[in-house]
Amino acid sequence: MELARRIAVVGVGETRYERRSSRDLAALRREAACAALADAGLEAAAVDGLIVPGAGYGELHELARDLGIRGQFHAASCFHSGTAVVAAPLEAALAIEAGLAHTVLCCQGVAWGSERRGNVGQPHAEMRMKAAFEIPFGWYPQVVHFAGMARRHMELYGTTEAQLGAVAVACRRHAALHDNAILREEPLDLEGYLASPYLAEPFRAPDCCLVNDGAGAFVMTSLERARDGRARPVVVLGAGSGVIPDGEYSSLREDYLATGAVHSAPRAFGMAGLSPADVDFVALYDNFTGLVIQQLEDMGFCRRGEGGPFVEGGRIELGGALPVNPSGGQLAQAFVFSTNHVVEAVCQLRGEAGQRQIASAEVGVVTGYTGAQHATLVLGSG
Amino acid sequence: MTRVPELAERHLPDPGWPVAKPFWDGCRAGELRIPRCERCARWVWYPAPACPGCGGERHAWTATSGRARLFTWVTVHRAFLPGYRVPYVTALVELVEDPRVRLATYLRDVPASGLRAGMSVEVVFESVTEHLTLPAFRCVR
Repeated sequence: MELARRIAVVGVGETRYERRSSRDLAALRREAACAALADAGLEAAAVDGLIVPGAGYGELHELARDLGIRGQFHAASCFHSGTAVVAAPLEAALAIEAGLAHTVLCCQGVAWGSERRGNVGQPHAEMRMKAAFEIPFGWYPQVVHFAGMARRHMELYGTTEAQLGAVAVACRRHAALHDNAILREEPLDLEGYLASPYLAEPFRAPDCCLVNDGAGAFVMTSLERARDGRARPVVVLGAGSGVIPDGEYSSLREDYLATGAVHSAPRAFGMAGLSPADVDFVALYDNFTGLVIQQLEDMGFCRRGEGGPFVEGGRIELGGALPVNPSGGQLAQAFVFSTNHVVEAVCQLRGEAGQRQIASAEVGVVTGYTGAQHATLVLGSG
Repeated sequence: MTRVPELAERHLPDPGWPVAKPFWDGCRAGELRIPRCERCARWVWYPAPACPGCGGERHAWTATSGRARLFTWVTVHRAFLPGYRVPYVTALVELVEDPRVRLATYLRDVPASGLRAGMSVEVVFESVTEHLTLPAFRCVR
């Protein structure tokens, strides 16, 4: 089944992103979904495919009912959180090509700002090997796992704290140009970054993603149908997923620094018939600064060990050689499991990114990550 | 064996969980024991129903030398859970018997000159309660 250039993203929507919202997750998801449908010029009745990563059985049908989806629909999502969002176009393309659905809505939201009070490590605490052999030794929560990877990268390749800081600074500068970015009014330069205290050395607060409330959504349909839509279609050029065989326990990975991008990126680029040299910008899953550097290497934008120098000197800022996370990303705009990255990529490729617009952007790449899982999405302006 | 009372208020493992009980029994006896495949002799870590090398399902908890090399580490400055006294150094170390066996651990006796990946470390057992002893590792000079 040939899936390249068969479907398009025809609508995107987001709620306001806030540290804490007064509304619950169901209301946030519904608002984002309605905004995406309105952007596409579609009624909920047109939706016959749903991908709502993280939603349980009850939440899925509550959202469908709240949106007013009355007909039969296909539901898909085997991947988790960030990977599920970025792999959604792959699953949508499969469903649409197979005739199981015509119009697929993906919606993802988070209310950790108000619900979890910052204890985002709970899913890890519930994994029994982590509970037995990692948490009792302080190897917890996620910030420690990823700081360990950053430290190993520094030891092997000479990567510096200032290079981690370059990622944080780029995201913060981009967020300042976005009116729906939580840290838009909190500027950061490298000096300020280096002066901030360590949380889990080598990471400081600006190395870590936000904990917030909000939701995003996007609508996908076949390229033929997309041409009749309200918005300019953004074409799914390629998509790929990848898994790390050692699974969820990052402490035990044979190649400790590799993400599933080593598999998902070649698949996505292969489907698109493109290479990293063809890409105008990337929106990479940024739970921590170090993972941005790891993915740039894994995806072939530079070689293993060269990610530190790659991000220096404004090269990944707007106007640089390869703008990274132009919305401010999850470090500075909002953490929504990469949904904001998909929305931003679509805005950039439609030429609707305002002050953040990358001149003549034709190809953008988005990634999603979930421990052992990874997804790469190559989008084009059509 | 050193006693580290402040550990007691932290998240502690259940030393009676059958899957891990031989590990904690070993620590109380002053031995770092890891399951080893009886068919192909590969170390199986974390404990698993089948050997990742040959699929063998019979594993014997086997004493190791307790010597390891520092793989990576994190100095934690903020307590993310109640009861963790900061700062502390948490680390991954690879056993000399097989570097694929990485243990999360506390690092003790950190030299003033700093840490480097590959440094030699050795196990030191820290009694937490009557029923639980945790293996930490100290830097070897």
